[in-house]
Amino acid sequence: MNNANPIISINNVQKYFGTFKALDDVSLSVDAGQKVVVLGPSGSGKSTLLRTINKLEGINSGSIVVDGQDINDPANDINRIREEVGMVFQSFNLFRHKSVLENLTLAPIKLKKEPKEQADRRCLELLEKVGMVEKAASYPVQLSGGQQQRVAIARALAMKPKIMLFDEPTSALDPEMIGEVLDVMVTLAREGMTMVVVTHEMGFAREVADKVVFMDEGRIVEIAEPNQFFDQPVHKRTKLFLEQIL
Amino acid sequence: MGNKQVIIEVGDGAAIPSPRDKGLFTAWRISFFGTLAIIAYLLLFRPDPYLDIIKFLPDGIVVTFQVTIASISLAIVLGLIAGLGRISRNRLFNLAASTYIEIVRGIPLLVQLFYIYFALGHLIRVPDMLAAIIAMGFCYGAYMGEVFRAGIKSIDEGQTEASLSLGFNRSQTMRYVVLPQAWRTILPPVGNEFIALLKDTSLVSILAVSDILRRGREFASESFQYFETYTMVALIYLLITLILSKLLSILEDRLSHYEQR
Ligand SMILES: Nc1ncnc2c1ncn2[C@@H]1O[C@H](COP(=O)(O)OP(=O)(O)OP(=O)(O)O)[C@@H](O)[C@H]1O
Ligand SMILES: [Mg+2]
Repeated sequence: MNNANPIISINNVQKYFGTFKALDDVSLSVDAGQKVVVLGPSGSGKSTLLRTINKLEGINSGSIVVDGQDINDPANDINRIREEVGMVFQSFNLFRHKSVLENLTLAPIKLKKEPKEQADRRCLELLEKVGMVEKAASYPVQLSGGQQQRVAIARALAMKPKIMLFDEPTSALDPEMIGEVLDVMVTLAREGMTMVVVTHEMGFAREVADKVVFMDEGRIVEIAEPNQFFDQPVHKRTKLFLEQIL
Repeated sequence: MGNKQVIIEVGDGAAIPSPRDKGLFTAWRISFFGTLAIIAYLLLFRPDPYLDIIKFLPDGIVVTFQVTIASISLAIVLGLIAGLGRISRNRLFNLAASTYIEIVRGIPLLVQLFYIYFALGHLIRVPDMLAAIIAMGFCYGAYMGEVFRAGIKSIDEGQTEASLSLGFNRSQTMRYVVLPQAWRTILPPVGNEFIALLKDTSLVSILAVSDILRRGREFASESFQYFETYTMVALIYLLITLILSKLLSILEDRLSHYEQR
């Protein structure tokens, strides 16, 4: 499963919040194009792990190498690395003062100096892809949660990232809106995007994941392919977790 | 998420009338039309001395506005720096900003004015008006700093995280994402500070700056009509602040519509 050059390589990471150990000797590697789903009970460190990959959280020891660069090495420009790593949040976090289209074009125009006309054209295509082109001129407050999240995915894609991180992208949504967001994610997965997804959507995990990572109390307890994970979990904790949620 | 409405309360300054108060007899209307009526009455039925007094004041009104606008501009610049300093991770910047705010808040405005005007004016000669503007701006910058800090803090952390995750650095995030949103929360208290500052500029009349109050004092000391002069001075200040607070209320209303569209 591991080839020589994983696009994300997390090695023996420890992460403390004060004296609380949020990540305990975590190692994980993700190959280009792989889809990894992270599962685990609340407080197990899923979000923390995801957020260390684009350094929204620093780490106390270990290393994280993204696309060949050690992200915690001060010699590497973290802002350039983050351009390669899109992130989608549970609470969408669209820029409230910008229209839908402006949400997408802001970073390409300011950071990549893309000409506005070109950025507009390209981002309208992205909106088309997530089914939001009619709302290009709307503001985030005018959109439903599902619509906001689809725009948020498109916004991350506008920077042409190599990797996409999703932190419970459907957990804040009304049930009837979960499908439209998952559809976009499935499409993205089919196109070959490298994805790390924290979610409670077991259907998505089964269908899309190349591997499932189960975390508990800051540790990775089990890594397995979805069929193996759901049908023949090895660890006691994993079995307990699956019994509780299924 | 949803419509997070944050209101920053700043105690001093005239209250800005609520744009949603649609009653006929609002406090603002009573004060405004009452003031207008009294001024009209005095000018029509007691032209001597009120007409002479009011003719004497316009130069002072201009100076008051000049000092107010120059001081508030300086205060906004200093306030932005102080506010950013107060939330900065840079220890030195943070400490400098906090110390500035601490010191300014601990010394009465009048004493600061005297200090900058007389004590510093003793060392370096600056024009009267400039000294007054520097003193007012310096003092109000500290209050403005707290307003900016609160405004920036009111913006959800998720906005910053989304911006950072796209590749913006911290200062780009501040500039493109946080400040444009914070401005809407900041505007009402900045407006309040503006009105408070306008009133406080009357203090500079002590420093040989010919604002409304100083012009009034000059008139009174020549004519000995103290009661009449200060009545008119008070009415003029009241009229100006009432007009300003109304303008701010309209502006605020515009902005909240903008937010809801
Ligand atoms: N900024 C922080 N300061 C202190 N403790 C934190 C911080 N962020 C997270 N924690 C703690 O670290 C642990 C792991 O948090 P994390 O958010 O990664 O869990 P999670 O698996 O994503 O849970 P959930 O399913 O509830 O989102 C929790 O106990 C949490 O309280
Ligand atoms: Mg979480």
